[in-house]
Amino acid sequence: MSLLIPEKISLSSASSSPGRCPFPTAEYPEVEILDAKTREKLCFLDKVEPHATIAEIKNLFTKTHPQWYPARQSLRLDPKGKSLKDEDVLQKLPVGTTATLYFRDLGAQISWVTVFLTEYAGPLFIYLLFYFRVPFIYGHKYDFTSSRHTVVHLACICHSFHYVKRLLETLFVHRFSHGTMPLRNIFKNCTYYWGFAAWMAYYINHPLYTPPTYGAQQVKLALAIFVICQLGNFSIHMALRDLRPAGSKTRKIPYPTKNPFTWLFLLVSCPNYTYEVGSWIGFAIMTQCLPVALFSLVGFTQMTIWAKGKHRSYLKEFRDYPPLRMPIIPFLL
Amino acid sequence: MAAAAAATAAAKGNGGGGGRAGAGDASGTRKKKGPGPLATAYLVIYNVVMTAGWLVIAVGLVRAYLAKGSYHSLYYSIEKPLKFFQTGALLEVGIVPSSVVLTSFQVMSRVFLIWAVTHSVKEVQSEDSVLLFVIAWTITEIIRYSFYTFSLLNHLPYLIKWARYTLFIVLYPMGVSGELLTIYAALPFVRQAGLYSISLPNKYNFSFDYYAFLILIMISYIPIFPQLYFHMIHQRRKILSHTEEHKKFE
Repeated sequence: MSLLIPEKISLSSASSSPGRCPFPTAEYPEVEILDAKTREKLCFLDKVEPHATIAEIKNLFTKTHPQWYPARQSLRLDPKGKSLKDEDVLQKLPVGTTATLYFRDLGAQISWVTVFLTEYAGPLFIYLLFYFRVPFIYGHKYDFTSSRHTVVHLACICHSFHYVKRLLETLFVHRFSHGTMPLRNIFKNCTYYWGFAAWMAYYINHPLYTPPTYGAQQVKLALAIFVICQLGNFSIHMALRDLRPAGSKTRKIPYPTKNPFTWLFLLVSCPNYTYEVGSWIGFAIMTQCLPVALFSLVGFTQMTIWAKGKHRSYLKEFRDYPPLRMPIIPFLL
Repeated sequence: MAAAAAATAAAKGNGGGGGRAGAGDASGTRKKKGPGPLATAYLVIYNVVMTAGWLVIAVGLVRAYLAKGSYHSLYYSIEKPLKFFQTGALLEVGIVPSSVVLTSFQVMSRVFLIWAVTHSVKEVQSEDSVLLFVIAWTITEIIRYSFYTFSLLNHLPYLIKWARYTLFIVLYPMGVSGELLTIYAALPFVRQAGLYSISLPNKYNFSFDYYAFLILIMISYIPIFPQLYFHMIHQRRKILSHTEEHKKFE
């Protein structure tokens, strides 16, 4: 569709829908959308409803530029400023009767659900390839053989359970505040998850795998840690879900519920991450496998960054945020 | 690539090793806030010391060549100052205004070559490829550190700026060749000795094959080196043509 700035329809013209709108036409705001980098006029919308939201404006913009679907539009008041939120109402923004919005293309987008399903299905499947000792991984004499160590079978159950849980939570539990993320993230994320899954699975299911030094005792303890943390993590996900009604993007301070696993909210802002780290530490102790420990460390680093960010935004948004809470590790971090 | 990254880190922000100058050089019309007087003093001292260090290495090479009458096995005569000053460059990470990622990548790859390859695999120390990258690094670093010194003092001779943004055209490929050939020469010895490698079975269910790791490093030069090289070419065009318009700085 060629870019033509639609003729600015004269607001005082009698031909512009007389008698239909209750407001004098001069009160309808106009919106012009400029490219944030080149300042080129991309679109002009006249007679926009004053109560229109940014989301609605994005939809109107897509009509003239179908290649820029709403998810990849970033509209802001200042070319270098922050993106406006979809829920923001045009009238409430500091604009005159002609609002100038700057547009930036966020690039191809992909839905969070798609990314999560892909990045979690990979490890589930890949680990099983190693567990069943599919040909071309280990020597030919090991093809389709089974490990003689109980802990190896247990580890497969735990690992598979973990990713099945994640897939189900993605489909039925989580309520995402953003619909999409940049497309390149799926490659980055899948490389991380799938790569580490293959690396860990290779050693745990290796014919030369060495079981834990302290034997069944170590495995039992580690399994207990793993199970408790999985239950904890799930409890937090459910609690967070219940904070937010379906389809909304409300944000509230999470509090402990009757479920004892949620009592960790007294001490940390993101107990879901705390439990997740705990699960992987449990798995590392259970398998006594250095790559698992490294995976836990990398995951912990990333989750700490996210937890600190979340903690900071809680503090910014809520004056009465409980002061005892730390981002991810009680009292420490 | 260690050579390439060094120049790139520097060119990116005119930082990358010696701190950023004030408006002293023609990296464009943007004026960067210079460091305070104490920080400037520290940076000047750092850059002067590093320039001196690499000059010591250069002189050491020349003297050893004259004494021996051949250019083979000169590594041994400058081994200690080379290790000292190249490892000392770790101090650049963090005090540098340009990207920490790029700087640390550059320094780490140099340190890797010095310690994890040349030092660790004694048999390659007499290889000519070592001389190739040592010469490339020495010339590059002398120019780079004096560039920073002069920039910090707001008195940058055009010759130094020209050298900084021109000699890399030859020095980069030279350094990269030396590095790759050295790693390649080290391979059979690494394999034979099982150097830095651990195999199954073991208590922590982990394995590492240093031989395969070195091959991966060599392969990584393929995507990385052209990017760094062409970035420098691009910087050269920007910075040297800009100076032409503004006449020589003096």
